[in-house]
Amino acid sequence: MSTVFKALADPTRRHVLHLLRQGPKSAGELAEHSPGSKPTMSAHFTVRREAGLVDSDKQGKTVMYRLQMSVLEEALMEFSELLGLNLAQRAQRPSSRATLKKASTR
Amino acid sequence: MIRKRILSAIAFAAVLLGTAAALSYAQGLDLIEPDTARRTIQVMIGLQLAAYANLMPKDAGRWRSSPLAMARSQSALRVGGWSMTLAGLTHAGLWAFAPLTLASVAAMAVVAAAMLITIGYSGRMLLACRSTTPQSRQF
Repeated sequence: MSTVFKALADPTRRHVLHLLRQGPKSAGELAEHSPGSKPTMSAHFTVRREAGLVDSDKQGKTVMYRLQMSVLEEALMEFSELLGLNLAQRAQRPSSRATLKKASTR
Repeated sequence: MIRKRILSAIAFAAVLLGTAAALSYAQGLDLIEPDTARRTIQVMIGLQLAAYANLMPKDAGRWRSSPLAMARSQSALRVGGWSMTLAGLTHAGLWAFAPLTLASVAAMAVVAAAMLITIGYSGRMLLACRSTTPQSRQF
């Protein structure tokens, strides 16, 4: 289960999982739509495959990936997406204590 | 893989039968009411349905030569998995908390609706796959 959490914790990995929801995609197609270099993407693929969230198959010269997530894993992904969004919004917003401190120094 | 599945199904069935026997025994000794035994078994059936349906999208089967067919089968498995999991959890929730008269009807209706959604959506995906041209199916 910890490998699943590790795989779902990263926003890039979650983005690729969202892309794979539309259907199987080649490694090239996924790399095109995702930020980051090819070696980084390859590392991401390894983590996802180890967690059992994606399945791969070599078809000719291309490696194809498809989603292999249970309902619970998908719900966890959505939950971490929501949590991630909230954390990002919180990080962008200056905290009320910091604002008060700034105002008092002026 | 198949052996593991069969063994887990047998284990699930054994747990269900064992619990039913234990509840029946407890009921015979007047330790619990008949309604409690019925509710417990129905909750277990709901949870079992949810557990099986949870794994439904994970079993995508063999790789096919058509990306379109694979996308549609994946979509059908996801819709089926989600609807049956939610139906299983609702079934368990209704039998755990709702009045018996409501639970017996509503739980059945929820599972039947989820089955209809799963079969209907899968059929739609199958028909959509058949109506596409063979050229667009190839990788």
